[in-house]
Amino acid sequence: MRYAAGVDVGSTQTKAVIVDEDQRIIARSLTDTGAYLVRAADRAFQSALDQAGLRRDEIGQVIGTGYGRFKVEFGDTQVTEIGCHAKGAWALIPATRTVIDIGGQDTKAIKVSDRGEVLDFAMNDKCAAGSGRFLTNSAEAVGLEVSEMGARSMDARQPVRLSTVCTIFVESDILSYLAQGKRVEDILAGVHSAIAARTVALVRRVGSESEITMTGGVSRNMGIVAALTEKLAMPVNVSPDSHFTGALGAAIFAMERVLAGPGAFAPEVLA
Amino acid sequence: MSAPTGIRYQGELHLLQKEIMAKYFAEATAIAQGNGRKAAHLLIAGNPVELLRAFDVLPIYPEVNVLQLAVRKGSLPFIQKAEELGYATDNCAYVKADIGLFHAGYKTPFATIPKPDILVCNYVGCNVYLNWFEHLAELTGAPAMNIDIPFIRTADGEPTADDVIYVVKQLEELIVLLENVTGRSLDWSAFTKIVERSARTGELWAEIKAMTQSRPAPYDAYFDSVTMMAPLYTLRGTEEGLRFFEVAHREMAERVKAGTGPLPEERFRIVIEGPPPWPRLRVFRDMFTRWGAVAVASTYSTVGGLWEFGFRHDPAHPLESIARHMLSYNVCNRTFLQRYEQMERYVDEWHADAVVIHSVKSCRLFSAGQGDMREHFVRDRDVPTLLIESDLEDPRYFSEAQLRNRIDAFFEALEQRRITAGRGAPVPA
Repeated sequence: MRYAAGVDVGSTQTKAVIVDEDQRIIARSLTDTGAYLVRAADRAFQSALDQAGLRRDEIGQVIGTGYGRFKVEFGDTQVTEIGCHAKGAWALIPATRTVIDIGGQDTKAIKVSDRGEVLDFAMNDKCAAGSGRFLTNSAEAVGLEVSEMGARSMDARQPVRLSTVCTIFVESDILSYLAQGKRVEDILAGVHSAIAARTVALVRRVGSESEITMTGGVSRNMGIVAALTEKLAMPVNVSPDSHFTGALGAAIFAMERVLAGPGAFAPEVLA
Repeated sequence: MSAPTGIRYQGELHLLQKEIMAKYFAEATAIAQGNGRKAAHLLIAGNPVELLRAFDVLPIYPEVNVLQLAVRKGSLPFIQKAEELGYATDNCAYVKADIGLFHAGYKTPFATIPKPDILVCNYVGCNVYLNWFEHLAELTGAPAMNIDIPFIRTADGEPTADDVIYVVKQLEELIVLLENVTGRSLDWSAFTKIVERSARTGELWAEIKAMTQSRPAPYDAYFDSVTMMAPLYTLRGTEEGLRFFEVAHREMAERVKAGTGPLPEERFRIVIEGPPPWPRLRVFRDMFTRWGAVAVASTYSTVGGLWEFGFRHDPAHPLESIARHMLSYNVCNRTFLQRYEQMERYVDEWHADAVVIHSVKSCRLFSAGQGDMREHFVRDRDVPTLLIESDLEDPRYFSEAQLRNRIDAFFEALEQRRITAGRGAPVPA
């Protein structure tokens, strides 16, 4: 059996996935990225290897993805996370035609072909308003962990209306709602609604074709998934492995290369 | 392939351009030092430079000066100076850099810019520029004239007869103003000779632009066009300017014949819309080069004038032809639908694979509507189109990782589709 790996160095977290020839995930790992990208990539990869009980030399190809993809020093090549999320989402849920990924700094909507190829994509402009960092800052403002936000927001009764999706100004918006005695649940629902509205606008740009799959860590936030479902008026798929979609896509690209054999891909093909 | 490309883009033409631009800036400095010659400040879009040359007034383009600052990585302190004075952060960064430059005594590493003896604001759709020249008038005390150019409202993109008369009348007023400033009267035959050289220059430039229809394109119609654009604006109508374009024409024709392109291999042909990010031009270009992407056409190279679709200055009707140039034959005064049409022709006739839109953060006037433009090309024309954003002058808006990510993803997808379509791009050695 041959193996390949993908390492997704994101701005917040680093993920690694190892797949076998049948594109089955045999190991997955997750670590905070921190300031040292090379070490984070190494840590995530090593942890996945340990889980799989494999040595480095047993992995045929490694592809790096995410903002820190060029820091996956042991990687053979790099693919952007746009390509990897498309591929990974398609692998997890083959009917996927539209992918939504809310990353730490980027929100993306990707139109995917029936072969997992990127047909079109739209991302937030230069400003990171309404991205994953917006959630982190909002969580801090109400004194919660990001992982707690989703469940808490489901108890909202009267969601507040935020005046901004600015990652910086949202804090003062939230503080003023807290000062008015608004419930944390209602504030969180307001946060999720704002981020969903911003995301839906991006989805509309590439066309919201069924089926829609949400990928990345933020997909674990059920409040956002609910807000997106409502605003899109369409179901939004979330795979249990959605957090690892980018790394999985990279691993599948790597496996394609392993199976194709040496020289089948120009080094530039997936620069 | 993660390393920088290391490709040297410069050719013979770049050297000649450097030489004549250095001479031009030396002339500018000599005026600033008081040699008595007059200087006019004017804007690039649809510039009526022929009239200034007829009075031996040196055309000074504040946009050219500040982009030079940006290319030399020196724009930020001037921008910040203007912000200190109260200009908003989202105000046009060209304006801010120029206002900052004025307050720094117009001293740059490449020239001392002479204060204007006359300000010629050719208004083609940018009301911020209108305010810019009003500010300059207040700061410098120079007489200012705003040439009001009506926006094109006709379906075929041609100005109406009344539009032409309206602009010609204003050009006649400009002539009177220039006569007052310079103390000489217009030599009509010298003026028509200048217009004749402009016509010839336009002819050569149009032919040079048509050459990128060849495979490979002999030069990059975005990144290398800028080399030719400076002489096109500063020296159009002069002997020297005409000679430059004769050399350029010869060099490019030879490249077409030899099958030489700007890159070792042309893998993608693109059309680029929007001005370049001057503060990080080289880094930005490398982002395309590593994918073998060459611009075969660009709208930015038509800001000063659009010659490739047939417009020429006319020595028999010099003022009318200048009016037409200002009204219809520069991209800024055209409607958005005409901009689409222009780009569609580029895609079809220049055989492009994709469109890249570089949106400018501090220029909402030129950038507004580019989202719709992207959708038009993707949905209505099935042309893969990428929209990215930074700025033309302010280095703070250039986010390298973000841009690289989008550009890589875009070409990655194009490449992937090519492979799936079974017309795999050749594998480089």
